[in-house]
Amino acid sequence: MPTAAADPAEEAFAQLGMEVPLAQVDKELKKLWEADNAKTRASLINFAIYSEEVANLGRNNALLDGITAQHACRALMILSRPTDGEPRARAWINALCRPYHGQQTVCCEQLSFLLDGGGAAQVQNIVFAHLDSDLPLVVWWQGTLTRNFEERLSSRIATLIVDSATWANPCAEIDVLIDARERSGGKLDIRDLSWTRSHFVRLALAACFQDPIACASLPRIEEIAIRHAKGHRVAALLLGAWVAQRLGGQLDDRLPGFQFQRAAGGPNISVTLEEVPSGNALQSLSLKGKDMSAVISRDADSPYVHVCGSCGDHRQDEIFPADVETETELISEQLSRAGGTTLYSTMLPALRKMVGRAGCD
Amino acid sequence: MMENPFQETLFQRNRAEPCTVVIFGATGDLTHRKLIPAFYNIAACGDLPPQFKVVGFARRDKSDEVFRAELEAANRKHSRQGHNDELWATFAQGIHYHRSEFQDLEGYKSLKVQLDKYDQERGTAANRLFYLASAPEFFEPIMQLLREAGLNEGADGKWARVVCEKPFGKDFASARKLNDTVNATFDEADTYRIDHYLGKETAQNIMVLRFANALFEPNWNNRYIDHVQITCAENLGMEGGRGGYYDTAGALRDMVQNHLFQLLSLVAMEPPTDLSADSVRDEKVKVIRALRPLVGPEAVTQNVVRAQYCAGSVDGVQRVGYREEDRVNPESKTECYVALRLMIDTWRWQGVPFYIRVGKQLPKKATEISVHFKKPPQVPFATSKMLLNSENTLVIRIQPDEGIALRILCKQPGQALSVQQVKMDFHYSSSFGNASPEAYERLLLDAMAGDATLFARRDEVENAWKFIDEIQKAWHKSDNPPPMCEYPAGSWGPVEADNLLRADGREWRLL
Ligand SMILES: NC(=O)c1ccc[n+]([C@@H]2O[C@H](COP(=O)([O-])OP(=O)(O)OC[C@H]3O[C@@H](n4cnc5c(N)ncnc54)[C@H](OP(=O)(O)O)[C@@H]3O)[C@@H](O)[C@H]2O)c1
Repeated sequence: MPTAAADPAEEAFAQLGMEVPLAQVDKELKKLWEADNAKTRASLINFAIYSEEVANLGRNNALLDGITAQHACRALMILSRPTDGEPRARAWINALCRPYHGQQTVCCEQLSFLLDGGGAAQVQNIVFAHLDSDLPLVVWWQGTLTRNFEERLSSRIATLIVDSATWANPCAEIDVLIDARERSGGKLDIRDLSWTRSHFVRLALAACFQDPIACASLPRIEEIAIRHAKGHRVAALLLGAWVAQRLGGQLDDRLPGFQFQRAAGGPNISVTLEEVPSGNALQSLSLKGKDMSAVISRDADSPYVHVCGSCGDHRQDEIFPADVETETELISEQLSRAGGTTLYSTMLPALRKMVGRAGCD
Repeated sequence: MMENPFQETLFQRNRAEPCTVVIFGATGDLTHRKLIPAFYNIAACGDLPPQFKVVGFARRDKSDEVFRAELEAANRKHSRQGHNDELWATFAQGIHYHRSEFQDLEGYKSLKVQLDKYDQERGTAANRLFYLASAPEFFEPIMQLLREAGLNEGADGKWARVVCEKPFGKDFASARKLNDTVNATFDEADTYRIDHYLGKETAQNIMVLRFANALFEPNWNNRYIDHVQITCAENLGMEGGRGGYYDTAGALRDMVQNHLFQLLSLVAMEPPTDLSADSVRDEKVKVIRALRPLVGPEAVTQNVVRAQYCAGSVDGVQRVGYREEDRVNPESKTECYVALRLMIDTWRWQGVPFYIRVGKQLPKKATEISVHFKKPPQVPFATSKMLLNSENTLVIRIQPDEGIALRILCKQPGQALSVQQVKMDFHYSSSFGNASPEAYERLLLDAMAGDATLFARRDEVENAWKFIDEIQKAWHKSDNPPPMCEYPAGSWGPVEADNLLRADGREWRLL
């Protein structure tokens, strides 16, 4: 077993459970289960978190605890430090348990790996050697899609979760995603937490325009304004692009800002963003047009969004569930959705164009 | 009318259309325990349509405020996702009370005025869903007066639908009359007969299990299946005054005609051509129509066992016999246990018996379906006699602890080649942590969205009653009625029910 006394992150490793020799992970897991007959192991997916930041270790460990309480999985936590020198790997195993029906205990396995200096091949080998067979692989790739995000790995991923809010250069990352999806023949299911952040706003919007009078006013919409917290510009752009596209708009390359032209004629739709320093990722969405308006807004800390609409004399006031905010909730929300969605992927080209306007090309 | 473009691509589930729901019998137990918490939880999931309203219709005098306060207290107690004051406050704004006797036309006229007023405030005519949460004897006057008040048809292209609670009739004649009454007011396509068993996740999963897994369907016939058992056991008796209703119904009418026949149809039906409500229900009703009728006391004696419990103990607690229960006639001839051997006369099921049992005061609460496969033609291993008798069994647990288990035979570790039974067990709640919606949530959402797949259609109900009526006739109208058997509370039913299977060389599954 490697001696790691000098590692500055050693304290964080102590939370990862029992350190075991890499070659003995399966054997040690078996022992872990044999030690307690009362525990039932449950697993529906392989869920891997990949990170290159030691600082994320403690947070990810806590996250897995929350996620496995909701979603039975084999959890793999991979911390890759692209250091120089000889490749080196360490492994830890842990059981994350929760009571079930008051009597029994249901547990998920957590396998944590620290990979130093090994590169893409090492990451692949570790992931592929420790999957629960026949179960799909869901990977949450934290941060930049580095060179370790390479085809042999991405082609085995059923669902890739990313968070575009954490990207320093969204243009480059979106290009990598578009490329990976193309190479997979459209099969790679990509989920972006920034897109999930607007899920309930979109539901509320859809519910609000179930009202036939409100629905009839849609062709009059001219302005889409979104207020978002600092760091959540991509979430706001995605939401704006989606609303404009659903209204039949195409981003007009000739006009400045975000102007969408309606294929069916009618007024152009402009999308404007307002950034505020803090608070919920998405704070309001307002739609305006001749003789109509609809505002979906959320007060800080409220679990609900308020929908307030008016068309002439006709008024609407409703509340709907608000979007979840914590990473555990966002990931849980993704894992609850079986079957995948191609919607985000179809939004990527439009998003790329909009992000490009901000000047990252 | 313009389509809502935001709907598209966003939803995997049915979307409720904007509507007003009128509940007849809104001060009753069902509304407080099930309906309002279900609507509230639909709202909590963001699935309630905009400008939703509930109007409670009952005869006691009360204001909207009092009605809302009573429902709030009930929601706090029964809501699956807890109670949030902010959400309740908005939700409750849409709740109103309308005082009227069921038999008073004026009450319906004033209801219409009230509903029209809401439509005006809303700026559009709304769809209307009428929910009959009243005793069945009121269905007729309610239907008639809804029609007379002109409430049974939606205005301006909007819909009007009716949801009927069980019991839907007490025999074929009364069910047909009830259906005629309902269909004189609402089209069959607008009639939603609730069977809450169909709203349960695991009941819906039967179709998925059968038709999404290539493994099972090719074996799902008389070549590979020996028999099927459906058990619905309750460990309660007549607590809470339920003896009053139960003694007029009995296990056959209260459970078999509706819930268990629905499960039976899902297990035995042919694959539907598509998942539309009528395709699925077409196939389900064929199963009921293909049930071999049990005509005359002799056929009934041979294939059906009825029983009442006598004193005994469940979970260590002493229980009185059925006839000593509160509100039960001491000379009652109502069965609280019934076991049946049913044959389905189709190519697929020729020669495969379906055994059904349902009863009160049994050792535990469980509703399960088990499919028992045939034994291999020859077992070349040295096995014990006990194992020679065991077969592959697929168990679908409907409630509680929903899940699926498969019993298979494996080699026991050791030098000898001996064989042992093992069980592969899937539990919904340990694999899918998040709680499933209540059956009523799913069903109300479907009714508001116009999807009748999980509701019983007229022909399903009537054909089921036709079959049940023959048994009732043999029990209650023949000169040599089959005996009423007895079992101690806390046992798995009468020995006669064991003998029903023993005569075929089979046994009830150990639950
Ligand atoms: N409770 C359940 O869990 C359950 C489950 C499945 C099916 N069901 C079925 O659902 C139906 C309702 O059950 P429930 O338990 O809610 O009944 P309940 O508690 O007895 O309530 C009956 C309701 O009907 C109203 N009512 C009675 N006579 C009336 C009249 N002449 N005019 C106006 N309103 C009248 C009562 O109003 P007032 O209070 O103003 O008198 C009350 O709101 C029954 O058919 C039952 O079989 C119930």
